[in-house]
Amino acid sequence: MNNSFQRMFEGMAATLRNEVIPQVSDEFARGQAFGVIYMLNSVALRSNWSPEFVGEQIAAQVALSESLGPLLANTDAPDSPQAAAVVLGTQALEAVRDANEARICALIDWHGKAKLDAALSVAIERHLRAYMDRQLKWELKTSAKPMFAEMSDGSE
Amino acid sequence: MAVDPPSNVSHIRERLCDYLQSQTQRRWSLGKFTRYAVGFSWITYGFSAREEGEQRERGLILRIGPPYGLFAPYSALPQHSALKALEGTSVPVPRSYWWSDDSSILGAPFFVSERVEGAAPVPWVNGTGLKFEETYRQGLGRQFVSALAGLHTCDWQGKPGLDIDDVTVENAALRQVEAWEANAKRWALKPYPMLAWGLRWLRCNLPTAPRVSVVHGDYRIGNFLERDGQITAILDWELVHLGDPHEDLGWAFLPQYMGGSGLVCRLLTKEEFVSQYERDAGFRVDPVSMRFYTVFSLVKLATTHIAAVRCFEDGRFNDMRMPAMGTQIAPVLRQISKMLPMEEAA
Repeated sequence: MNNSFQRMFEGMAATLRNEVIPQVSDEFARGQAFGVIYMLNSVALRSNWSPEFVGEQIAAQVALSESLGPLLANTDAPDSPQAAAVVLGTQALEAVRDANEARICALIDWHGKAKLDAALSVAIERHLRAYMDRQLKWELKTSAKPMFAEMSDGSE
Repeated sequence: MAVDPPSNVSHIRERLCDYLQSQTQRRWSLGKFTRYAVGFSWITYGFSAREEGEQRERGLILRIGPPYGLFAPYSALPQHSALKALEGTSVPVPRSYWWSDDSSILGAPFFVSERVEGAAPVPWVNGTGLKFEETYRQGLGRQFVSALAGLHTCDWQGKPGLDIDDVTVENAALRQVEAWEANAKRWALKPYPMLAWGLRWLRCNLPTAPRVSVVHGDYRIGNFLERDGQITAILDWELVHLGDPHEDLGWAFLPQYMGGSGLVCRLLTKEEFVSQYERDAGFRVDPVSMRFYTVFSLVKLATTHIAAVRCFEDGRFNDMRMPAMGTQIAPVLRQISKMLPMEEAA
């Protein structure tokens, strides 16, 4: 997920309050909508994105770091991704993940410019691409079915 | 809580009345304003207006580029200039009457144009809405391609507001890659390695444009109006610029606008589209440029989604379409990955 958990819940509650409830004429339905806002606010106070989700992303980064290690040993490549302490909360894990993504972007930039032996360059590329595919597949696997048609015309 | 000026209808009505009077030296009475829930960027109002001495009301559109919008800061000049340049051509566009980048007038840059009748078919459909009737589809498709070819072959040189950028056939692609790379840096809340990979590939594979054309920048289903099978107006010109005409084709061809139909913008097969476009525009569509601009369009789309995430996260909008767009970053990056097989990067 790209937006923060807290902001997502804040935005959902605001949308219900400002955009939906004023258009609902039925008293019971409006009450139910306020009930949803209350529960959204309650859940937001005690929840966050799943540490398992971020944990898998960091595991993929560490795996990339380990596979690239021998290939980058005698090069001037920038730092590889680093592991996170096991006791970190989700927000701290997200910070580690994002710092690692920045390192991977720096590696991509370096790989594009470095004068490397062709076989070494291809081997590094293979690991980088495999890593990116793993991350994207994980994101897709943990995403809900899109509802853009419903959001566009307001019906199911 | 203070309402921001571009969203404050009574403020806008009063200020716009004064502005129109200053432009025409006649009094104006403005009817009810309707805010359209379209786009994530410019705020669009429809309203009726009567000029002193005129019997008939006319429908007008006001578009305001708020400072918190997706692509802010804005200028209304490129849109106004493009609409002016296309007046009277084969490209159906609303007439643009007035514009200003002076934020002291309505709180943000704005322009006022004609309100054109019609409805906008959208790319996102399900169930019974999936398919257009065949004759309707082909008719709209022909007009859609014809308008694009007309846009790409229009004479923009020397037209006020358009002939301001030093865009050449050699630098057109690089200009756009640089612009969207800067946008991604400006908006991203976190790094995206696949986006970095895509941008790197683009920089290594820059094509030369066949000509420098006016490029719409968001040419697709959803951005035109139709009525009784006729395209009445091409809309949403906020990304208009000079560039390679392949850019609009790459964007229109994205699977995101096929609505599950397998057709370009739910209208034509790729072959039908290219065949008519080449006839109408008078030059060949280059497959290498098409590949480049397909990858570019995906990078641009991912970046637009990243911008939506940023706008929502910053609290500028509570529009739930924005975080929903954010969920589409990964699928778009996956499309880029599939477009660029391994061991092909430069």
